[in-house]
Amino acid sequence: MEKYRTSVMLCGGTGCIAGGSLKVKNALIDELRNRGLENEINVVVTGCNGFCAQGPVMTVYPEDIFYEKVTVSDVPVIIEEHFIKGRPVERLLYKEPVKKQTIPLMRDIPFFNLQVLRALRNKGLIDAEKIDEYIARDGYQAAAKALTEMTPEQVIDELKRSGLRGRGGAGFPTGMKWELCSRVKGDRKYILCNGDEGDPGAFMDRSIMEADPHVVLEGMIIGAKAIGADKGYIYVRAEYPLAVHRLQLAINQAKEYGLLGENILGTGFNLDIEIYLGAGAFVCGEETALMRSIEGKRGMPRPRPPFPAQKGLWDKPSVLNNVETYANIPQIILNGADWYRSLGTEKSTGTKVFALTGAINNVGLIEVPMGIPLRKIIYDIGGGISKNRKFKAVQLGGPSGGCIPEYLLDTPVTYEDIVQTGAIVGSGGMVVMNDLNCMVSVAKFFLEFTTDESCGKCPPCRIGTTVMLDILTNITEGRGKEEYIELLQDISQDIIATSLCGLGQTAPNPVLTTIKYFRDEYESHINEKWCKTGVCKELCTFYVDEEKCKACGACKRVCPQNAVSGEKKVPHRIDQSKCIQCRSCYEACKFDSIKIGPRSLRERLMETTDQEALKEIYTAAIAAKEE
Amino acid sequence: MKGNILVVDDEQIVLKSCERILSPEGYGVDTATSAKEALSLLDRNFYDLVITDIKMPEMDGIEFMKQAREKNPDINIIVITGYPSQESIKEALRLRIIDYLPKPFSPTHLLEVTGNAIDLKKRGVTPEPQVEVYTEEVSAKLDAVINKYKHKPGSLIPVLQEAQELVGYLPPVVQRHIAGGLKIPVSEVHGVVSFYSFFTMKPKGKHNIRVCLGTACYVKGAEEIVKKFSDGLKLDVGGITSDKKFSLETVRCLGACGLAPVVVIDKDTHGSINPVKTLDLLKEFE
Repeated sequence: MEKYRTSVMLCGGTGCIAGGSLKVKNALIDELRNRGLENEINVVVTGCNGFCAQGPVMTVYPEDIFYEKVTVSDVPVIIEEHFIKGRPVERLLYKEPVKKQTIPLMRDIPFFNLQVLRALRNKGLIDAEKIDEYIARDGYQAAAKALTEMTPEQVIDELKRSGLRGRGGAGFPTGMKWELCSRVKGDRKYILCNGDEGDPGAFMDRSIMEADPHVVLEGMIIGAKAIGADKGYIYVRAEYPLAVHRLQLAINQAKEYGLLGENILGTGFNLDIEIYLGAGAFVCGEETALMRSIEGKRGMPRPRPPFPAQKGLWDKPSVLNNVETYANIPQIILNGADWYRSLGTEKSTGTKVFALTGAINNVGLIEVPMGIPLRKIIYDIGGGISKNRKFKAVQLGGPSGGCIPEYLLDTPVTYEDIVQTGAIVGSGGMVVMNDLNCMVSVAKFFLEFTTDESCGKCPPCRIGTTVMLDILTNITEGRGKEEYIELLQDISQDIIATSLCGLGQTAPNPVLTTIKYFRDEYESHINEKWCKTGVCKELCTFYVDEEKCKACGACKRVCPQNAVSGEKKVPHRIDQSKCIQCRSCYEACKFDSIKIGPRSLRERLMETTDQEALKEIYTAAIAAKEE
Repeated sequence: MKGNILVVDDEQIVLKSCERILSPEGYGVDTATSAKEALSLLDRNFYDLVITDIKMPEMDGIEFMKQAREKNPDINIIVITGYPSQESIKEALRLRIIDYLPKPFSPTHLLEVTGNAIDLKKRGVTPEPQVEVYTEEVSAKLDAVINKYKHKPGSLIPVLQEAQELVGYLPPVVQRHIAGGLKIPVSEVHGVVSFYSFFTMKPKGKHNIRVCLGTACYVKGAEEIVKKFSDGLKLDVGGITSDKKFSLETVRCLGACGLAPVVVIDKDTHGSINPVKTLDLLKEFE
């Protein structure tokens, strides 16, 4: 290997590529060559670094300098100032959002230094398209150990003791699943990997497959050894082209190195792995549905038992694990179950990867020890709520999960504690919502999702979610009735109790948790026809608090309808007949002078022409609001 | 009047009897003894239905149907023939006839078939539209794809994925082709096509716009973006503009939540979009 004095790790995850990181890479290589530095400075395109919001990002080693939002025009400056003169480029360094402090080193940035990387241990450190770099980081050592030194029973025992639970969402103990399958006799068994990451707002698996595809293969090899499989499939969403490309490369390279295929490492053990492209159906995340899909059929779940461990793909014993689960396995085999258990809690061991997104400063991919409180994730790693807005809820577990309010933010992130709140840990989507989000609309958003994605096989899910969605639509459009809240809860219980698969059994969770924690929002939608966040257009009126208005014109500039009138120094006013409730003015106002009133206010304002009477209505509305 | 019908046959007796049966029932009937004559009538008049013989001197029924289709791609056609050979029926089916009358036929049969065809037309049911992209070259490539996967278990989904890549979408004719090639029922193919959101039965525009509706994008205004596109381009989600330049679809989650809200146009990902400025994204395509 060549020796370089400096290595530049440029992020090549989907987010950074969309931000132009490949153009930056080309510019870097050209510029380095022009200056004759190509043998001194090495440019590596890595998988997702995790800090997606600041992309394109790059890290310069050995100093550990972290640059964010790098563009092509920054390249000559970085080379001249940093690589030649040794002075890091100040303006490209990370700035802490609250204190506006510049933090040059990656290891000092809270987003990074509060994380513990296990499943993501290679993120941002290796070129995902080169097997040698994976091997240099102890890659395939665990597979070699499992194949040459361990019996299947020992592998399973190690996993069982580690306490690793399925990272796909349900949290079923992985070792137990493997043990069940290993005990079944069969001429052919399958080891399957679920990369059909369907939860909206989640991209953990995509990042692992893009950043470290070999770790998935290695985990599957160990699993195959444990259950006695000789054929594997990785089911990946077709929407993840980069992940598919890198996985295929990884499979080809592993075959070339004799790590896949026949007689692996001379042990006589065979395993062939193939990629299977999913065609976009959320329900295919359910194991029996996924297997039907690999068989080329409609991906509909079937009742269990028989469990896939006995009768799975093509009725052969099969084990299906999630991408992140596999990514944890090599380290457990290498370092032992006790090492793994050293983090986390008694029942939820190790670490968990989350995709932290939404109304938060540091959007990105994080890995934290189980048991960490939600508050620490959101405020320390996530850097708090963006644009100085107020935290309202954090959504965990996607369409199967729920919304957790402020007062429960000290809940530790473990499978058991999160379930207590009504949400689930799920696959790891963590979407933060601020005071601009209407919780009834959020519940409706998830119900729209599940209604659409219900496979239609069992009526409780197919019809039940549709009826719930109708009720929610009625509420958000001003046709809500008092008994609806109870009705929603009743239907939810029935759907949970009678649905065939996890999709239906968990579909009501977003509605139940929002009713539990944000019942007042449902009530104001129904009783006062008032969406206080201004999201439900039929349930709000935007008006100006003329006492507070500084007549700065910010609202006037953003209004797409020219509905705001008022000269400089004259408090502005919104013409209700023109207003389309787009909420632009509300978000633009820096003085909190745009108010949101109930729908009835709008009619009263439109009927009144008398200036004095108008003023009275405004004053009364503001007084009512402040109560 | 119930509808205008053109009957084409080289035998006067058939034409006469058709006229005698159909006219009293309230249909307007024109007749032609040759394909040539029929084509010139098609130029001059509007017909709801054409009933034609297959075996005719000079120009036969198949060639006539091809030319009639060129004049009016949506016209409904019924075929009469006394020689129902496998080949001619296959050919006629390929030309998307709506029904079939074997000679000799009874008055009731003729009335029934005609009534059904006119009824379908009234309900807006027209023959399957011609798929321009489904050329012989594409058809041969499809066969190659089918042969590549034929002997693998679970091959339907990969075949459909490659077929969609090839044709752009999966119209019924392509689904039938695949069903025939893999020797499985068309219903099974259609069942899979309609189940997975990746498969589409509608053509895509020159530029395909995909708006992510994942949670992170949703909380940052993705719905507003969809509305801006559909109002600005005057098309619905899943639709295509009349000049076929743009098509619009929504996707579940692109997994690029760090960039929310996200829009993908063709293969370029655009992140952190201000919903108000959505339509600016289309400037480069003007």
